[in-house]
Amino acid sequence: MKQTNPQILVFKTDISELCGNCEVAKKLNMHPLINEWSIDTEDKDNVLRVVTTNIVPQQIVQLVTESGHYCSEL
Amino acid sequence: MRTRDTDKEKLVYTKAVEQIVNEGFNTFSMNKLAKACNISVATLYIYYKDKDDLIKKIVSKIAKKFFNVVINDFNPKMPFEEGMWVQWKNRSAFALENPMEVSCFEIMKHSPYADEILKTGELSMFKQYMTEFFEHAIKNKELNPICLDVFWSIAYGPLYTLLGFHREGKSIGGRPFTLTEDIMKQTFDLMIKGLKP
Repeated sequence: MKQTNPQILVFKTDISELCGNCEVAKKLNMHPLINEWSIDTEDKDNVLRVVTTNIVPQQIVQLVTESGHYCSEL
Repeated sequence: MRTRDTDKEKLVYTKAVEQIVNEGFNTFSMNKLAKACNISVATLYIYYKDKDDLIKKIVSKIAKKFFNVVINDFNPKMPFEEGMWVQWKNRSAFALENPMEVSCFEIMKHSPYADEILKTGELSMFKQYMTEFFEHAIKNKELNPICLDVFWSIAYGPLYTLLGFHREGKSIGGRPFTLTEDIMKQTFDLMIKGLKP
């Protein structure tokens, strides 16, 4: 069944600096199932917060790690 | 899937206000806040995007609360003295009932987050009420025609000085101090005497 309510997923990462052209930013921006995302680069866990309607955490972990960063679900 | 919990949101709000007042913005962090609330940092990110988002939402919440309390039982067309007394009662009640929030609001007023206060929807109604009240009193010759800055400093300066003494528990020279309605009324009467034609 397709999920319609947005859910929030949070991940610990090692992304302490972010620009619009970073590979990870591009991938997150282009992902059709990600409504909104942000990374708290000031926090020690560099928390990635994703608002999505239908995605499993593992897909986000894969997307970030493929871009060369650490990522694990919090 | 992570869900929101209203009680946790209240706890986060209370603890965040406490931490900002006690430690300031610079050392305030999402991790410290999560620890103080005994929740995981992940839970905190359900409610807020980041530290900046959290601080902005807190400023906005305090501002809304303040503007709503201040216009309670107040009508801009009230006779000047009566309206001023309602203002003194509302402002002092807010300060006495929410000391941490008032201290936090003061810190935020003098920070880059001050802009968030100006964005609060309730501010426009508050401003409109206060301006109308001020102009109405001058028009009715209940108030000397003075500029708004002079008016504000005389109208509310004494009240905020007394509230500051009360918060500290002492007045000038370290004299023990507790604000009573009698002291407030004495000060109020002198303020009115100074402003009325």
